[in-house]
Amino acid sequence: MTRAVLALVRKDLLLELRGREVVPAMVTFVLASFVLFRFALGGDRLGGGVRAATGLLWVAVVFTAMLGLTRAFAQEREHGIWDGLLATPVDRAAVWLAKACSTFVFLVAMQAVALPLFWLFFLQEGDGPSIPVLIGALVLADAGIASLGAMLAGLASASHAREVLLPVLFLPFAVPLVLVGVQVSVATISPQTSALDTLQRLGFLGLYATIFALLGWALFEYVVED
Amino acid sequence: MAISSQSAGLDRGTLAAAAAAVLMPTALAMIFFYVPTDVDQGYSQRIFYFHVPIAITTYVLFAWGAVNAVRYLLSRDASLDLKSYVPMHLGVIFGSLTLITGSIWAKASWGVWWYWGSTQLNTFLIIFLFYCAYFMLRFSVDDGEKRATYSAVYALLGVGLIPVSVLAVRVSQELIHPITFNENGANMDGSMFLTFLVSLAAMLLLAVSMYCVEMRGKRLDERLRHIRRLAEATR
Amino acid sequence: MSSSEAVRCRGLVRRFGEREALGGVDLDVGEGELVLLTGPNGAGKTTLLRVLATVLRPTGGRAAVFGSELPRSANPARRLLGYAGHEPLLYPLLTAAENLRLYAALQGVDEAAVGPALERVGLARRATDRVSNLSRGMRQRLSLARATLHGPRLLLLDEPVSGLDEEGRGVLRSLLGENGVTALVATHEPQWFAPMPARVVTLRDGRVQG
Repeated sequence: MTRAVLALVRKDLLLELRGREVVPAMVTFVLASFVLFRFALGGDRLGGGVRAATGLLWVAVVFTAMLGLTRAFAQEREHGIWDGLLATPVDRAAVWLAKACSTFVFLVAMQAVALPLFWLFFLQEGDGPSIPVLIGALVLADAGIASLGAMLAGLASASHAREVLLPVLFLPFAVPLVLVGVQVSVATISPQTSALDTLQRLGFLGLYATIFALLGWALFEYVVED
Repeated sequence: MAISSQSAGLDRGTLAAAAAAVLMPTALAMIFFYVPTDVDQGYSQRIFYFHVPIAITTYVLFAWGAVNAVRYLLSRDASLDLKSYVPMHLGVIFGSLTLITGSIWAKASWGVWWYWGSTQLNTFLIIFLFYCAYFMLRFSVDDGEKRATYSAVYALLGVGLIPVSVLAVRVSQELIHPITFNENGANMDGSMFLTFLVSLAAMLLLAVSMYCVEMRGKRLDERLRHIRRLAEATR
Repeated sequence: MSSSEAVRCRGLVRRFGEREALGGVDLDVGEGELVLLTGPNGAGKTTLLRVLATVLRPTGGRAAVFGSELPRSANPARRLLGYAGHEPLLYPLLTAAENLRLYAALQGVDEAAVGPALERVGLARRATDRVSNLSRGMRQRLSLARATLHGPRLLLLDEPVSGLDEEGRGVLRSLLGENGVTALVATHEPQWFAPMPARVVTLRDGRVQG
């Protein structure tokens, strides 16, 4: 099964490298979001401060991820390739895992560009959140978004309104993620935050990813079979 | 003991409805006249006896929907899809009531129409959002095995959401509100506890009777559709 | 259930919502047989093939491939069958070889099988070309290579003749003529298969005629 997962991930990465559909769109979207947020928060001087900006960073990450996820199974759908994949004995959970892995890679790639931009736009005026913690939190959150997103992308595929349906299905699950993501990032702005608290919150993000990875693993076969 | 009738569903539903019809007024009477006024929060604290039982009923409905979702995935029995969907549907109704009574309670207790520091209320809000999304999914997929399967899968994802939401709210408590609040006083005296139990029983029975009514209606729908299909096939 | 039967259907039903695409199909295909599936559009030929390819689950009735009941024992069946549908089921942005290597991984077959498979369909020289740059006939040939990569005992082919170029027709004939291979082929041109011994089964409105 490892071989199948690796082959499928390789397929997704090759397709993205040649097609350039997902990552450029996400980067553009997140950049535009930052510009919007900057002006919404006060342009000249950062009204609401760094705390608000960090909160908005997480919102931008979630919405950008959803944008990317709408294209998750696009190739399989548009060229009818599902029939080809499903006629093979490949483990359906492997298909989910591969999609989650490639989504994770795309999210990290997008954030590799977004985070420096965020620093440039919002963190020039005084204390900001701890960057290592922020990176760690984002990576863990990406794992959770990718796991759940691969599942939900499959569910939303069935509908004609999938671009609208996917965000609707995802948002209730995004709330706990954003809640803790923002908290763990913002809390590091003040030096009094204990390392234990931060670790606890990062631990939650890891737990989130684990729970939805397990559910994705177990349930994806029901999503693809017809 | 049971009144003989044509179908077991009719039986249970009638019994539940009868019991609810008795318990509801009893609960109302107890809430407004029997239970003593709360020392801290005054008369308006009585909303607690509506809010918490309704909230518990909502969670029970959700659990019942989720259990039947698992059973559906394992057996593909179409009736289980209905038995999963109907509790979720009722959950939206009771959930809305929970939010409304929760809001009234927040106003009574803390003077604001929503209290963002409450673990309970916030967790519930997330769950309610999930219910709404469940319905969007259900409306977006055409009737059939696919819709049933996808609904069941999403319901089970929602089960994962519950502990996640509770933990998330607790772990980020500082952000929401620095004051921790003990809402549900563990020390309820005898009369308060009794009133609470009666109200809870009344709400649960109300949910059961609504469940039976809705199931009966949906089953008739199914039977009609089946008959229509047969009629068309033999044409 | 004797496994010398490649395909066995009893009362096979498949519904899509309210519409019944297959309304109780009884069909036996013996090992080594070539069965041609004919019938008007919408008769259920594609649906039947897709159910047997384990891509669709039966709504009712029974279906088995080499003794493996569907959908319960779908995986053993999948190793023994090769399915080629209307679409070539290939990723346009990947090369011919990359597509086959992916399917080799999914089928659990050594990558070394890719080269010979490309040669058999005459695409060895186009191995590193993207599928989007191949002609329709080449894509159909590549699709056949994909479907036979793992040496299946049963071929399920949906309209394989249409869109095939001259070389492709030769490939198809040789694939069907291979020792012991069983094939269930949906086609609008049964006469094309004339030189090969074949049985014709006609579907109409989701049922076998005659």
